[in-house]
Amino acid sequence: MHIATQLYWMVCKDLVSEYRARQVWPAMLMLGALVTFLFSAQLDIVVEERFRMLGMQAWLAVYFAGVLALHQTFTMEHGEDCWDAMRLYPVGPAWIYVAKFAVNCLALSALQMVVLPLFVILTDAPLLNHPGHMIFVALLGNIGISSVGTLLGGLWSCTRQGASVLAFLTLPLVMPVILAASEATRLLAESEIGPEWWRWVGLLGVFAVVFVTAGILLFEFLIED
Amino acid sequence: MAYQTKIVGLNNLVKLVVICLLLASLVAAMSLAPEEETMGQAQRILYVHVSVAWLGLLGFAVMGASSLAYMFRRNLAWDHWSHAANEVGWLCSSLTLLTGSFWAHSAWGTWWSWDPRLTTSFILWAIYSSCFVIRGSVHEPHQCARITSSLAILGLLDLPLVIMATRWFRGIHPVSPEMEPMMLATLVLNIVGFTVFFGVLFARRHSQLLSERLLQELELRVMAKKSVL
Repeated sequence: MHIATQLYWMVCKDLVSEYRARQVWPAMLMLGALVTFLFSAQLDIVVEERFRMLGMQAWLAVYFAGVLALHQTFTMEHGEDCWDAMRLYPVGPAWIYVAKFAVNCLALSALQMVVLPLFVILTDAPLLNHPGHMIFVALLGNIGISSVGTLLGGLWSCTRQGASVLAFLTLPLVMPVILAASEATRLLAESEIGPEWWRWVGLLGVFAVVFVTAGILLFEFLIED
Repeated sequence: MAYQTKIVGLNNLVKLVVICLLLASLVAAMSLAPEEETMGQAQRILYVHVSVAWLGLLGFAVMGASSLAYMFRRNLAWDHWSHAANEVGWLCSSLTLLTGSFWAHSAWGTWWSWDPRLTTSFILWAIYSSCFVIRGSVHEPHQCARITSSLAILGLLDLPLVIMATRWFRGIHPVSPEMEPMMLATLVLNIVGFTVFFGVLFARRHSQLLSERLLQELELRVMAKKSVL
């Protein structure tokens, strides 16, 4: 079987099991919406100030709600020896990481489809005036957060400790990603797409490439037991 | 017996060297270095700040390198190096933020600013702290080593950002200010003094961790023997 097909089936497996059990995605989307509402309530201030704070608030909402999905990635494999069955699938550990990473990217994208329009509605921020640019920033930010979150989620799932600890563990590593994505989003809200915006996007791109590469290389070492 | 006497003698010599170096650094920083014109006495914090900042970065590099070695060898001896570097590095990183904050209050009129150098240094401290917390909460040695190693290796990415933050991003943190020869000599003496001091702390902590593990293994063997009997 071609590797792309195997990858497709691994992603499908996770999506179908989530669709059947509805364990994480509804809670994650609900938490994202609630956090957005709460943050927006604090943004009842002058427009310039509101747009300046918007980027960080939007990305923190995505991160804290998204941790639920990141934590669940491997936790769901521990029941009924699913992980052992997964290891019997004829692909290398790196491909298992890629599949889980893809599922997390999809989960965060779904979350952003709720959070970003809500921010636009509640704060009148012109985030979607440049949809292509916004999607680009969101995609790179998702890749950065998902790559680290998938790797650490895999490790952390073996320790029987909660998602809150995973949030604490992942946050320092993804802080540069969140900062860069927040600045790029703020510049979009202020409609300033210039060299500074490209500088933050470039930084996001570097983090995305390095974290995904590190995740693929490290995963094999981390899951052997 | 003669071997033990030699070790004790060497330890005392190292202690003496460290005390002399630290005292010399202190005297040079407090009285020999000339007073800076604009900042006055507050500028003297810089001699400690730069020294511990350098050690915070060095500690992380050691932690990352020993974590990589652990990943490839799966030998807990490498994790002990990483553990010792984590503790000493965390202390230096905390002192960097603390002394930097005092300096900033005097120079900029604020305790903290989201300057790129300060932000990246804070991220480094947060990664150190995460590793620190994990070491306290995950008790299976290899599992703990795997998690902290992956954090340290991924965190290595922050090192070039901290070092180059003042050059790559616009901020208010000084890049590399010009100094009088006496000031520079004091700074170098402080860096050497603190490096030797924390180097000794690092080596002591490492041997302590090694002894702890040997003791644990011994206890396990005794318990296994008792259960057989």
